[in-house]
Amino acid sequence: MLQVENTLFTLVMLLYFASMLLYFAFIAVKKDGVAKVAVGLQIAGLALHTAALICRGIGAGRLPLTNQYEFATSFAWGLCLVSLIFVIRFKFPVLGAFSAPVVFLIIGYAAMQSREVKNLMPALRSNWLGFHVSTAIIAYGAFGVSFVLGVIFLLRDRMRQSGFLDAHIPNREKLDVIAYRSVSLGLLFLTFTIVTGAIWAERAWGSYWSWDPKETWSLVTWIVYAAYLHLRLRRGWEGRAAAIFAVVGFVCVIFTYIGVNTFLPGVHSYA
Amino acid sequence: MLKKIWKFLSSMRFAILLLVVLAVACSVGSLVTQGQTYDWYAQHYSERTAALIVALRLDDAFHSIWFIVITGFLCLNLVLCNLTRLPQLIRRTRAEGQPEGALKGEGDVSREGIADPASVFARLRMPKPAPCQTGDGREALFASKHRAGLWGAWVCHLGILLLILGFGLGQMTQKEYAVYGVPGDVKPIGDTGWMLKIDDFTIGLRQDATVEQYTAAISVYSPDGGTAARESAEISVNHPATIHGMKFYQNSTGWAGKVNVLKDGEPLQAEVVCAGDFLPILDKPELVVYLNAFYPDYVLTPGVGPSTASANLNNPAWLYSVYYQGSLLGMNALMAGEELTIDEYTVTFTDPQNFTLIQIKRDRFTWLALLGGLITTLGLLLAFYVQPAKVWAVRDPDGTWTLHGQCKKGGAIFRERFEKATNQDTQTGID
Ligand code: HEM
Repeated sequence: MLQVENTLFTLVMLLYFASMLLYFAFIAVKKDGVAKVAVGLQIAGLALHTAALICRGIGAGRLPLTNQYEFATSFAWGLCLVSLIFVIRFKFPVLGAFSAPVVFLIIGYAAMQSREVKNLMPALRSNWLGFHVSTAIIAYGAFGVSFVLGVIFLLRDRMRQSGFLDAHIPNREKLDVIAYRSVSLGLLFLTFTIVTGAIWAERAWGSYWSWDPKETWSLVTWIVYAAYLHLRLRRGWEGRAAAIFAVVGFVCVIFTYIGVNTFLPGVHSYA
Repeated sequence: MLKKIWKFLSSMRFAILLLVVLAVACSVGSLVTQGQTYDWYAQHYSERTAALIVALRLDDAFHSIWFIVITGFLCLNLVLCNLTRLPQLIRRTRAEGQPEGALKGEGDVSREGIADPASVFARLRMPKPAPCQTGDGREALFASKHRAGLWGAWVCHLGILLLILGFGLGQMTQKEYAVYGVPGDVKPIGDTGWMLKIDDFTIGLRQDATVEQYTAAISVYSPDGGTAARESAEISVNHPATIHGMKFYQNSTGWAGKVNVLKDGEPLQAEVVCAGDFLPILDKPELVVYLNAFYPDYVLTPGVGPSTASANLNNPAWLYSVYYQGSLLGMNALMAGEELTIDEYTVTFTDPQNFTLIQIKRDRFTWLALLGGLITTLGLLLAFYVQPAKVWAVRDPDGTWTLHGQCKKGGAIFRERFEKATNQDTQTGID
């Protein structure tokens, strides 16, 4: 099973790479047909990626959501999924062109991690952990998309007006609503993540909230996006400022994900 | 003046300010290592920084007075905001379901010349419109949906309040104890008056010798035979048990061993002692043996110190210290079977076994925090995914209809959908 996963993983990387190049080509040659192929390749990549995750799950005998490699590859999967949903739902291939490199970066990071399947220590053997991490993947994916949208929003203001842009990037107002949709999806799932994480921590460690750095940073992220939503409701703050907040919010996400681990691990009395 | 302050305290501007301040406060609290002493900070940062950290209570940021004050203001802000908005919210919820208000004005989007309004309502996935009349007696249709969505933010704010309340009350009133020991031990649970007996403790291993689960069987009873019965339960990691209102967690484990003391060759004392425990000698309590640590597979690496090569009992050894009247006499490793002689006493360690550390917790407000969390989530779902919308149509003198739509949350996307749905009508109209 893990052998199959390895092969699939390589194919997934190739497909994501190819779709990224095609997305770039679409921006360069401005042909809608190219974008269609890029989206198609990305869908194929996502399908194989799903299969790879299932293979790993079967091979390891549990959800593939517990070490750095597994979480990174799942993070890439989540971002690709949410991005594709937004690309298709809002007919917005330019979004795909901007998120494809981020997906590729994350899966590249995953490829550098150890793929060894390790047995889980008892505290990690909980269904709540499954809910906790899978909701986090969707949340991070959605925040990734809002980050990309924020970047597009900020770049759009700087770019020269052109027919291509007008046809393929929604106007400010619509871009703002789409970004709002992705932030609200992310915040909802981040809330699920925090609640399920708290329930799990209460069962495993006897305390549902203990201010450990990872917990605290997920709270900081949550607060930043809550502030984004309120800012957006105030006149004059939608658009540019909200876009900046979406970018800052994603920096918090990445810090929560990678940065915090370099500080302090949590309470691992059995590790 | 007072009115101004009141208004500010209940304003969203203050809310945003508080959120930003709270985010900064939390990140500072996570960047400064918590719960250390002044000396520790002085060593890791500078004396000046250390003084600042201690003065500002950054060493315990999340329980500091300023953190509690910020949170208090957030709660006040939330209460005021929810209270002042409640009457308006009830009024709006009623009004949104009635055509009167809508028919007076224009929608955010409008379209004239619609032949078949009923099918546009259907395409916009609105409920079946109700016939009604405008103020000047023209025929009209009206439908609204998802009014519950108006309550999203309000419910979310209420949930956050309950969450903070539950967490705060829990922090103030919770009790926490720890009991450790080996099977057969009976120990008091802090000052609760209850006794905890460890009936059994097992470590489940996988084939590759990694740990699968730690399981303890415990009983809780009142020593005076009291009113409540003795109750037993099995607890393991991720599977705590609640007994007599207290929650029992299998928290961690360590090594224990039997310490045998002979005096002039005669057995004096034999007790099971856990790593980290002190054992005063029975007839000379100022002489104390302290068990620092246990190594099942002892190796001594010069320059590094003692460690264990594996988790198997291949070469068991105890690291011990001996104190006399509080001062350290010496520290060394003693292999199983070796003897340690102190004056007329001979000490040996035998029968290494695992002890269990059981954590006991009583938090009467966890349910409130959980409820708050669930209500917050419900509020978010309402706010984001139940978008209130209304659509109405007014019959024009030429027999066609003018359609109006309003969906604040939908913004540009709702407008697009509205245009598409009405376009389809005018196209079929041309056919
Ligand atoms: C942790 C704190 C808070 C969170 C997580 C939170 C969350 C939310 C959410 C999710 C919304 C809906 C946003 C949307 O639909 O786009 C909202 C709206 C709102 N919030 Fe908060 N909020 C918080 C604190 C506050 C506070 C303290 C106030 C006090 C004034 C406040 C005032 C408002 C107002 C006036 C709205 C608009 C309501 C509406 O459009 O119906 N919020 N909040």
